[in-house]
Amino acid sequence: MKRTLPAAIANLLVIALVIVIFSGAFSGAAESAGEVSGRFDGVLEENTTLRILENDTAIKQGYFDALLTAFNAQYAAQGITAVDANMDSYLDLEQDGPYGYGPDVIYQANDQVMKYTDGNHILPLPVEQLDCYAQTAQTAWDAYTIGDGQYYGVPVNVQAPVLYYRKDLLPANWETDWDDDSNGTPDMLEDWGAMYRFSQQIKTESGGTKFGYMKSLYDTYFASGYLFSYGAYVFGPNNDTSDVGFAAGNAEIGAGVIRQLAGVMNEGCIDDTITVDCYSRLASGEYFATMTTPDLYTMFIRELQLVYTAEGLSEEDALAKAAENLGTATVPALPENGDLSDETSPLIPCKAMGGINGYAISSYTKAPDACLAFIDFATSFEMLLTRNEMLGIVPARSDAANSVGGLTGMVNQILGEGNLVIMPSSRALQQVWTPMETLLSDIAKDPFRPESEIKYPDLPSLKAGLEKADQQIYDAIWTLS
Amino acid sequence: MLEALRQGDRRVAASAAIMGLGQLLHGQIAKGLLLIALQLSAVAFFVLTGGKMLLGFVTLGSVKANPAMGIEGDNSVILLIMGIFGIIVLLLYILIWRANIKDCYNTQKRVAKGAAPEKFKAELSSLLDKNFYKTALFLPILGVCVFTVLPIVFMILIAFTDYGGAVIPPELVSWTGLDSFRKILSLGQFAPTFFKILGWNFVWALLSTALNYLGGLGLALLYNKKRIRARAVWRGFPILAYAIPGFISLLAFKFMFSYGGPINQMITGAGGTAIGFLDLDAKWTARAIGLFVNAWITVPTTMLLATGILSNIDESLYEASRIDGASRWVQFKKITLPFVLFATTPVLISQFIGNFNNFGIFYFLRGGLYVDNYFLASDTDLLINWLYNLSIDNNYYAIGAAISLIIFIITSIISLAVYVLSPSYKQEETFR
Repeated sequence: MKRTLPAAIANLLVIALVIVIFSGAFSGAAESAGEVSGRFDGVLEENTTLRILENDTAIKQGYFDALLTAFNAQYAAQGITAVDANMDSYLDLEQDGPYGYGPDVIYQANDQVMKYTDGNHILPLPVEQLDCYAQTAQTAWDAYTIGDGQYYGVPVNVQAPVLYYRKDLLPANWETDWDDDSNGTPDMLEDWGAMYRFSQQIKTESGGTKFGYMKSLYDTYFASGYLFSYGAYVFGPNNDTSDVGFAAGNAEIGAGVIRQLAGVMNEGCIDDTITVDCYSRLASGEYFATMTTPDLYTMFIRELQLVYTAEGLSEEDALAKAAENLGTATVPALPENGDLSDETSPLIPCKAMGGINGYAISSYTKAPDACLAFIDFATSFEMLLTRNEMLGIVPARSDAANSVGGLTGMVNQILGEGNLVIMPSSRALQQVWTPMETLLSDIAKDPFRPESEIKYPDLPSLKAGLEKADQQIYDAIWTLS
Repeated sequence: MLEALRQGDRRVAASAAIMGLGQLLHGQIAKGLLLIALQLSAVAFFVLTGGKMLLGFVTLGSVKANPAMGIEGDNSVILLIMGIFGIIVLLLYILIWRANIKDCYNTQKRVAKGAAPEKFKAELSSLLDKNFYKTALFLPILGVCVFTVLPIVFMILIAFTDYGGAVIPPELVSWTGLDSFRKILSLGQFAPTFFKILGWNFVWALLSTALNYLGGLGLALLYNKKRIRARAVWRGFPILAYAIPGFISLLAFKFMFSYGGPINQMITGAGGTAIGFLDLDAKWTARAIGLFVNAWITVPTTMLLATGILSNIDESLYEASRIDGASRWVQFKKITLPFVLFATTPVLISQFIGNFNNFGIFYFLRGGLYVDNYFLASDTDLLINWLYNLSIDNNYYAIGAAISLIIFIITSIISLAVYVLSPSYKQEETFR
């Protein structure tokens, strides 16, 4: 014992000493390893491979292949090759980047891209050097800044709600009875009040088997536009998440519009039934109109074509007839007083929630200048026109949008006029969806409740509901932070 | 070990100071050199990297990374994982060092009895013979340490940090002690939700386990009746439900009970009003549908199990009871149920735990709802769903880890208590 115990203690002490000395000696190593470096020096990193993360639709429709082929041909002399990163399009750079996994260039919606600024996972970009800089609306650029004067992404396309409707289901007398301003556009495409009255007429006449405007109203992305139109907002100035504003201004009037619209639909508006069914039911003539994003145009055409083919038309004729009968329009205006049954109320523009999809460069890339060259190429006038042709997107570049014209030009115009409320570029946005979806489905259910169980009979009760949702969102963001 | 330290001679002391030295002094050259090499490797490991690992475990980092500026910085999560790894290596080193002392002391005793120290070759041979269990278990134990113990310890330790919310790498994570548990049990919005969900979780686990068990047993008994023709065919139907992947069944049921689903189509077609089976106001309807759907998916498993067990019951027991005048109900109560229960108690416990942590049912049937008076949860959510809402939807990893630790404690206590009190444990010999 006299000899053994001290020897045992000596052994353990040696190990402990080694741990203490060498953990201390190396603890400052990381601090000295870091150094600030300019990431864009204008010199292309030659003989490099760029991993590009694109969205699934662009890959499936063949656009991404076309883009890679064109870019690789242009930069073959420098040995720069862009390849499909072959990763999930919902990849989270925040989770994967620090561990060396992730693409060099990423394409996602602005709210997704901008959450990466929190941990500096994406690079601030010298966007003034890009061809698209002057051609892209400031509103689109604003989606990619956090108010520090830097831009972290390059806008590619605008995501905004679009009204899809059946031209052949318009009333035969629409030019005399449903075109008050005689501008050649049916009132129901310009005024939510007219759409409401038309929907009510269809539902009544069909005994509740056919409908006018149909949409799953619990969907915050599409329904919050009604609230924004009367003064609501998501977060306060500079994305101040302590200020949640779905109940701000006269938002309860917008909530009343949602409640009224639910009354001319069926219970499918409470859950996702209409969202799932809208393509086939619009094609079958059960629905007159619905709202979704521009990139789903081909889905409606395909369903309508199927219906006409089943009726005996050839594939080609069915496609032509489908294109002829499917109409698209921007979101109609709202009555100032929010009463859709009031034909005398002046109209105000209907705002809509939208997003700007774009490219960003991962901070973990070894070739920032080559990545910038790729983005410059992919956001060129020609490539965005190709993207529009192949994917039906609305280009963020105004020259490309104007060149395409039609709906694309209109959406871009709405963006320019400030009626498109871009999804906040904040991580906290993910905590908005569920509380708002819960409230909106509750409001949408109200017209289907027995009289005694109605929850939102008037504007104060709608205001209280919105305030509760605001509080839930605030609690979700701040209670545990 | 204490005996070795107390009774050990100078060779044991040498081994305690430098691993393998005592063995060398005993003339066990190969083993001595091997142990010295291990000692040197341990020192080298801690000099080169282990020291940093252990310090990182304590501090969880001191330099915040900024990848955009090229500042590498510390990643707290990696430091935590590597710290746990460092601790495992340190514990392993201490175990080997301890074994080295005991080995040297055993040799001392062997020599005292007049025998020669064991040859290295003979010791190696024993690893394939007398000590084969050590050889066989070495790799599995190592695997369990790295792939099971390390992640579990990591998850447990996360509960004692502020990881989550705005604090995710490259932000530096800190140790916060019991703060996450304090929040769960005391925070205004949190505590009432926790206790409400916990209460429902118990009701759900009990009801669903009982329903599935009795349903499966009932079906097995029914299909066991000799008067039923083509029993194998009838047994096939529940197995079909079992064969379909669970989440597909769940999505199908969600569609069936939705406003646009076939059930509501039939109701409205017959002139009725559509029913929101799973919507916001449907607390108990949704809970009942959850129980039914869970039974649909699980009853076939219990049925199969019970069918196998029933075939093992000695028919003479029933014959004897019939002679004694026992009714069918008495036969079921006194023979069938105890026999099946005895054989299936461990399965029953695992079903209870599975139901307690049944994430899929309400996630697929009624996910995406937060109802009044619940914090980031709905009135059908179980603790595991709430854990998901908090940790995945809202990034509160530390709180999520704390809840999973609470779930683990609850389910462990219940499983152990039920098992220890069950006939399977207390009357092990009954049916042998």
